[in-house]
Formats: sequence, structure tokens, C-alpha cells
Amino acid sequence: MTATVPTTAPRTEPGRAPDATGRTGWGTARAVLRVHRTALVVWGVLVAALAGGLVWLTEVTGPDLRARQEACDWAAQDWCDMNIGMVGYDGPLDLIGLLTAGAFVAVAAFAGGALIGRELDSGTARLAWTQGITPTRWLAAKLAVPALAVTLGLTAEVLVFRWAWSAARPLTYADWWSGHAFTARGPVAVAYALCALAVGALTGLLLRRALPALGVSVAAVLGLALLLARYRASLWPAVTLTSPTDVPSAPEGSWDVESGVLVHGRQAPDLDLGSCDRAGTSSARCLDDLGVTGSYTRFHPESHFWPLQCVETGIVLGVAVLATAAAFLLLRRRTATTGG
Amino acid sequence: MTVTDTALAASGLGKRFGRRGAWALRGCAFRLPAGRVCAVVGPNGAGKSTLLALAAGLLAPSEGTVTVLGTDPASARARVGYVAQDKPLYPQLTVAETLRMGADLNPGRWDAETAERIVSAGELDPGARIRTLSGGQRTRVALALALAKQPELLLLDEPMADLDPLARHELMGTLMARAAQYGTTIVMSSHVVAELEDSCDHLLLVGGGRVRLAGEIDDLLDAHTRVSATAPAPEGTGDTGLAPHTVVESRVTGRQLSALVRPSGPLPDGWRTAKPSLEELVLAYLRNPQAAPLTPAEPAEPAGRPADAEALA
Repeated sequence: MTATVPTTAPRTEPGRAPDATGRTGWGTARAVLRVHRTALVVWGVLVAALAGGLVWLTEVTGPDLRARQEACDWAAQDWCDMNIGMVGYDGPLDLIGLLTAGAFVAVAAFAGGALIGRELDSGTARLAWTQGITPTRWLAAKLAVPALAVTLGLTAEVLVFRWAWSAARPLTYADWWSGHAFTARGPVAVAYALCALAVGALTGLLLRRALPALGVSVAAVLGLALLLARYRASLWPAVTLTSPTDVPSAPEGSWDVESGVLVHGRQAPDLDLGSCDRAGTSSARCLDDLGVTGSYTRFHPESHFWPLQCVETGIVLGVAVLATAAAFLLLRRRTATTGG
Repeated sequence: MTVTDTALAASGLGKRFGRRGAWALRGCAFRLPAGRVCAVVGPNGAGKSTLLALAAGLLAPSEGTVTVLGTDPASARARVGYVAQDKPLYPQLTVAETLRMGADLNPGRWDAETAERIVSAGELDPGARIRTLSGGQRTRVALALALAKQPELLLLDEPMADLDPLARHELMGTLMARAAQYGTTIVMSSHVVAELEDSCDHLLLVGGGRVRLAGEIDDLLDAHTRVSATAPAPEGTGDTGLAPHTVVESRVTGRQLSALVRPSGPLPDGWRTAKPSLEELVLAYLRNPQAAPLTPAEPAEPAGRPADAEALA
């Protein structure tokens, strides 16, 4: 009987500890939800409205347009598919794609402004930090709750957009690699939003003012997105086709990156061949003199969509991790938090 | 045992904002025993808020250390209550939601009954949004949050500034009852000395970023004497007979000498002496920044010395 006392005592202690931390985590999350209730509701309504719009376009507007296009194709009129759906279908679909791909801008504004910047601006962060939770835990909850909402909302949005886009493909002229048709159809859209959240939190902590933090975080993530969009084609090795004569053509639906002539087997995209077009010179001779041995073209086939998505997602998430680490480091240094 | 008996202690504590900014607080050393109600007094911009924020673990010191409840401020966080000067609260939440947030963020420590009692004493509608409340009502909610946490140390930055006399009296009574019942140490700052005279037993006078006076109020008052005498020497020679004592403030009007001194021995027989009031003491030190500080609990270490020398230079 005496043995039961020492055995039960250690059992209740570890049993109670995870329960207490679990409740703390949930309590902190609930506090964050309470403060940012309006933003969460707006986010939910926005995601539902965009998804609803896509369903409407695909299920209600789409079939009718497709029928008209097919009728037009039978009539062999080339011009008809230019007009069909441009206003009532392509436009809205394009817009929803743009909003899905650009959602990270709103996330950056929210994170820099309302989520972190305003808390430091108005002093409510100090209120939170002097409750029973550490500033690090506060920041963790401040990031985790929106991160979950953003991930769930945008993942759903991306999936619906992928479905709507593939159904709409015969009607639209947006290629798989162009602008938001690329970003809104893969994990990179979610990655940008998570990165915006982290960058917004960091700028909010750095600047401690809502409006400047909002501006700087939006500018920072927009800069990152534009930079990556510019170098997107280089994120995965492109396929190269060469030919001894004319520029070879890439398969249908490919993303043409670059084409040019080969000089002694080397790619020379900037070589000016204009001089060979002058009268009185033999074109073939001129090319020989320049050392032109053929042509090449570099392109991404559509199968490169996923590798390109993965590399870009990795880079953006890397930036997000760095920004998050910097934000925690800054907060801990500023508030002299040593543990937890 | 001495560790736990000290609620708040500082040694060579300094804080400046920015790498090349001015020092908001420097060479700060004092020890506050547990269970005291301590007034932090000083003019605006003296460093009172900085000192309280350092103690609450909201700021990291630039130099020196601050010890809270026997540990560092970050580790003591759960046992320390803090109300900032501007009483920040989330304006979009209601009073009831604010208290629920307090319960969520203080697991295992929250005393809902205390929070509701303090709020209902102000006849606050629990459904009212914080943004619709007056300054005094916000103070009440902020104090309810801090007290329901059941802190061992309560740091209050200008807590009574927004309150009407009735609410001030009632809330001060709540605080004092708490201190008496649970032995809570209360540190409250103010620039109104009269506000604190009746309720506080310990004083920390901060001026120009330094601690000028620290100790039990009774001890501090006992250490000082207000003297008035007919000046024994002609005007202008400077020999007033005060030399052996530490002079905080002296004034010669005609042949009449009046001064506030810390006697280092018996005073001449012909001088009239009186015990100063707390307000007289505080004002004398604030008017005379060159007066030697009196911080009996100051640990005997050189941290405070170079700082003093720098101030004189």
C-alpha cells in the first residue's frame, strides 16, 4: 500500500504538464482569434466568394460558351472564339486568378499592419506580454493562427482555380506559364502568402508602427515576387533543341525561353545577324564567316510546371523561415526573454 | 531566504534607447523588500516608466541587472502584474471578452471572481466595447486584468491618473486590501506625491534617470530635518553652519536661514527643527539635482560611482 504513493505522485505530474501546455496553446490561439475575428471573417468570405465565382463561371457560364464555341468551330469561322467569353468568362476568371495569386499582398498588409504593427503601436502587445504567456509564445500564436487560416483558405482556392482553369482551357488564351496562371495553380501561391505573413511580422516588430510596417512589408514581398517572376525560367533547367538550319520549334504549349543561333556549337542569343542581310553578300557565306553552325531554342515543356513550382515554393518558404527566425530573435532580444 | 524576501532589486541598471541615444535610466541601484507598497515618484520623463518596463521584462537593460522576485524579469513574468501608463486594451473587444482573454492568457492563475468584482464595482456593462469606455473605466478594466492574474508583484504606471476621486479611493482600497491579504508587493509610479502619501510605505524617487532616494518612507523622513535659524554669519560669506551636514536645499533670506538637511550629528541648539513632510522632501530633492542621493539599500559595488562622476562632469 505504501508503494502506491510514490507511483501515483510522479504519474500525475507529467500527466498534468502536457495538459496545462495544451490548454495554454489553445487559450493563446483563442485570444488571437478573438482579437482578429473581423479579419478572419473577411478572409473566409473572400475565399468563399472567389471559389463561388469560379464554380459559377465553370458550371453556369462555361457550358453555354463551350457549346457556342463548338457551334462556331463547325461553322469554320476563325474569328468567333476571339469574342466568345472575353467579357463574361475570361475576364472574371483572369481576375480571380489574379486575386488568388496576389492574395499575399493583402496578407503582407494585414501582418505588418493589423497583426503586429498596430499591437506595438498602441501598446496592446505589452498588455499581452505581461500576461501569463511569454512574448515568444505570443508571437508563435500570432503567426500560427493566421498561417493556418491562410494555408487552408488559399489551398482550397488554388484547388478550385486549378479545376476551373483546366475546364476553361479551350476558351482562354492564358498559357500555363503566364503570370498568375502559373502562381495561382500551385503551392507557390500558398508559399507567397506564408512568406508575406512572416515578412509582415518582422517589419511590424522592426518598425513598431502600423502604417510604415504595412507599407514596407507590402513593398518587400512584392519586390520578392517580381524578382522571382523575372528569373522564374532559370529556376529549373530548360530543354534545349538544336538544329543545323532554322530555329527549331518547341512542342505545342511550351514556354519558349530563348532561341538563337549556334556559333561553333555555342549558344549566341545576342548575335546580330542583320549584317548578313545586306545586298551583295551571300547569306550562307556570311553566316559561315561568323561561325554560325546552327540554331537552337530553349523552352520549358508543360511537364516542367511542377519542378518550377517546387523550386520557387522552396525559395519563398526559405525566405519565410528566415524572416520568422529573425522576428523571434528580435523579439527575444528586445524583451530580454531567455527561455521558452 | 534573502532572495525571496526581495521583490525587486536593481544593480547598476541602465537603459538607453538606440545605440547612441540618451540614457533614460542610469546607474540605478536599489532593493525593494517583498510585501511593501512602493511609490515611484519623479517628474515627467524622469525614467519611471522605463524602470517599470524593465522590471516587467518588456525592455532589456542596456547595462546592469534587475532582479524580480528572486529571478530575472522573463522568468518572473507569470507572477508579475503590469499596467502601462496608457492602459492599452483591445478596443474592438467587449469588457467580458477582455476578461475572457485574460483567463485564456493566464492559465492556472486567473481569478475570475476578482476580475468581475472590480469591473462590476464600476458599474461597467460587460457587453460594452472597450473603445466606448472612458479613461477611468479603461483603467478599471486594466487593473482587473492585472489583479485577477494574482500577481506577487504588481507594477502600476500612473494607475490613478484617469480616475475620479471616488473611483481612485475605491480602487486604492482594493489594492491595499490585496497587499494586506496576500502580501502582494505593489510598485506604483506617480508624479502626484499627495496621491501616494497615505498608502505607500516605501519610496523610490527617480530624477534625471537616476534613483535619488530609496528606502522606507519613515526612515527617509527620519533621516532628514527641516531647520530654520537666524544666520550666524553675514550674508554672502557662505558660512551658514550647515557644513558638517548633508544639505539637500538651503535658502538664505536676509538673516534668515532655512534648509533641509540630513544631519550627520547634533544640530546647534538655537536652530528650530521640524520633521519634513513627504512632499517637502520630494520637492527639495527634485529642485536640487546636485543633492547627494540617499539610497541606503544600494549594494556596495562600484557600478554606481563612475556614473555619478560622469554626471558631475
